[in-house]
Amino acid sequence: MFSRLLATLSSALGTPQALRELRWMQAAIDSRASQLSLADMVARRLQHEPLQYILGTQPFGPLNLLVRPPVLIPRPETEHWATVLAESLSPTAQKPISLLDLGTGSGCIPLLLCHLWPPGSVKAHAVDISPHALTLAQDNAALCGIPSQLDGSKKPQNTFTVFNSDFLAEDFPSPALRANSPFDVITSNPPYIPWKEYIELPPSVLDYEDRRALLAGSSGLDFYHAIARLVSHKNLLAPSAIVALEVGHNQACAVETIMRDTGCFRCTEIWTDPWGKQRTIIARK
Amino acid sequence: MDLLFKYSQISEDVSLQDDKVVLRRFKELEPIEDAWNKWLSTRKELDDAIPMLADPDPSMASLADEEVSALTETLSTFLQSTFPSLLLPPSPTAHLSALMELKSGVGGSEASLFLGDLLRMYQRLVNNNTMGMNWTASVVAQNDAEGGGVKDATVEFRGEGAYDALRWESGVHRVQRVPATETAGRTHTSTVAVVVLPLVEESSPHDGEEELFTMDEIKLEVMRSRGAGGQHVNKTESAVRLTHIPTGITVSMQDQRSQHQNRRLAFQVLRSRLLDIKLQREMEARRDTRRSLVKGADRSEKIRTYNYAQGRVTDHRIGLTLKNLHSVLEGDGLHAFIEAVGRSYKEGLLADMLEEKEK
Ligand SMILES: C[S@@+](CC[C@H](N)C(=O)[O-])C[C@H]1O[C@@H](n2cnc3c(N)ncnc32)[C@H](O)[C@@H]1O
Repeated sequence: MFSRLLATLSSALGTPQALRELRWMQAAIDSRASQLSLADMVARRLQHEPLQYILGTQPFGPLNLLVRPPVLIPRPETEHWATVLAESLSPTAQKPISLLDLGTGSGCIPLLLCHLWPPGSVKAHAVDISPHALTLAQDNAALCGIPSQLDGSKKPQNTFTVFNSDFLAEDFPSPALRANSPFDVITSNPPYIPWKEYIELPPSVLDYEDRRALLAGSSGLDFYHAIARLVSHKNLLAPSAIVALEVGHNQACAVETIMRDTGCFRCTEIWTDPWGKQRTIIARK
Repeated sequence: MDLLFKYSQISEDVSLQDDKVVLRRFKELEPIEDAWNKWLSTRKELDDAIPMLADPDPSMASLADEEVSALTETLSTFLQSTFPSLLLPPSPTAHLSALMELKSGVGGSEASLFLGDLLRMYQRLVNNNTMGMNWTASVVAQNDAEGGGVKDATVEFRGEGAYDALRWESGVHRVQRVPATETAGRTHTSTVAVVVLPLVEESSPHDGEEELFTMDEIKLEVMRSRGAGGQHVNKTESAVRLTHIPTGITVSMQDQRSQHQNRRLAFQVLRSRLLDIKLQREMEARRDTRRSLVKGADRSEKIRTYNYAQGRVTDHRIGLTLKNLHSVLEGDGLHAFIEAVGRSYKEGLLADMLEEKEK
């Protein structure tokens, strides 16, 4: 039975990957993290469903986050730059900072920062338009032990609050969100796939992950223009704020220019991901 | 006794300063004090028993006689084995856990099946707590073979003394049996290479020991290309490879879904390999395995044969053959070999020491 499952999964993924995935599936069953049978898991995997949705989790740095369709599965590229960002800033409980994450999805970016930075050093604010994403992000915050509000105890704590808003809208940010500005750090992994590339995506992405998490107009740059407008007109940035934006495989220069042209920033830089792609634009005020 | 005087001084010092080095030394001396105290109390009992030999009541006298022989017996064991073994300097690696790497060698899929058997044998050793040490074992990496069995595996044995007990399992293990797949009933010979490394905790160099490497000596790479990457791809990608530039040692790890975990495990393996090199060097410098029967150096040497047809296991280093194959692979039989090899190593050390003295 195992060898039959291995043979079918191997034909889809190649033997080494199939062996690994089968072991991860088995581990999820053994630890009772999943109620599914191995055969069910393999059948779903053969339909191109991402392994992460089948198992219900995705590691992200030291965290093990919940994932649920159709909310975007956190990517290793994002894990990498968010970790580097965490290491490059050192907020403290004496000088806490305010953070805004635009299009938070699973909440992975701000939750990792809340986890890695010292207790009481950051108040994170996460925006999304998808109710699925907001529920998941809150579930993940609970899983990571990050409260949405200080619970009145003297113990320093980081906080993570979600806001159901459309950051493309004219009236963004809402008064409730604005009350937490100015922000010292703005992070975003906004949708960046142009529609021409969107229709070419592998089925595990195209058929399972939220279109609204991926698709970004004909150039793929719509959300970056919106973020540029936000930072230049809405007075959201603290005096020495930093903005970190993930970009698609060939968008780094264009997005860096968009950020520079706002005139809001002292300098910008591009971070490369571990696979050699220019992945993140860093803009400093 | 001078030693006991120093010992009590240490215990006073400990209350003054919470010094780890002193505490460790303190613990190392414990067996000596225990043995010495037992020796003294046995001597006292003997002194008390001797006058009773002359008891007018014959039944009392014969009881005393039995007691005197038993006590004399105990005392001679002290002289012949307890005290000599205490002469050995305490093992500098006594506190270390162990990391075991198993690789299938000659014999194709049969070697992979045998590797699976060995893996279960070692796990059973820990789970049944045969050594009475309360270790824990966990497989940190495992590469399954398509036809069943395991191509290679890395197992962590956590707990005090795990390295000292398991280090002599390093070497080539050979199995002679008729594979389940063999229709003609011929016996095949296959091998599995085992390497046992010392395991150190992350960033906890022991008192006064220097770090084994610095981060700028490390090249950390991810494996495989991801095409456009980012939002375009949702394939699991957690494999890492690290290279220690000064030695050229590379470690790849892709067993965990978490890259964070893979990185942690890869660093752990690297640390073990570097510590192993360091210990080998120190050992050669002390030349303390020069004469001993169990040589630590050559891991390509065949150390043990598991012969199914005759139901026996042979350790070639100490020439020990036991007809307990079933118990070795399915029960507690391995214990006998680990003990015997460890004893032989200690005897060798002792012989070396005495020889040094005579020079
Ligand atoms: C590429 S996903 C990133 C999710 C998460 N930050 C990550 O890195 O895994 C983009 C997210 O932006 C959200 N989003 C898309 N359009 C939005 C809008 N106009 N306003 C707010 N959120 C939006 C999507 O629901 C999705 O969760």
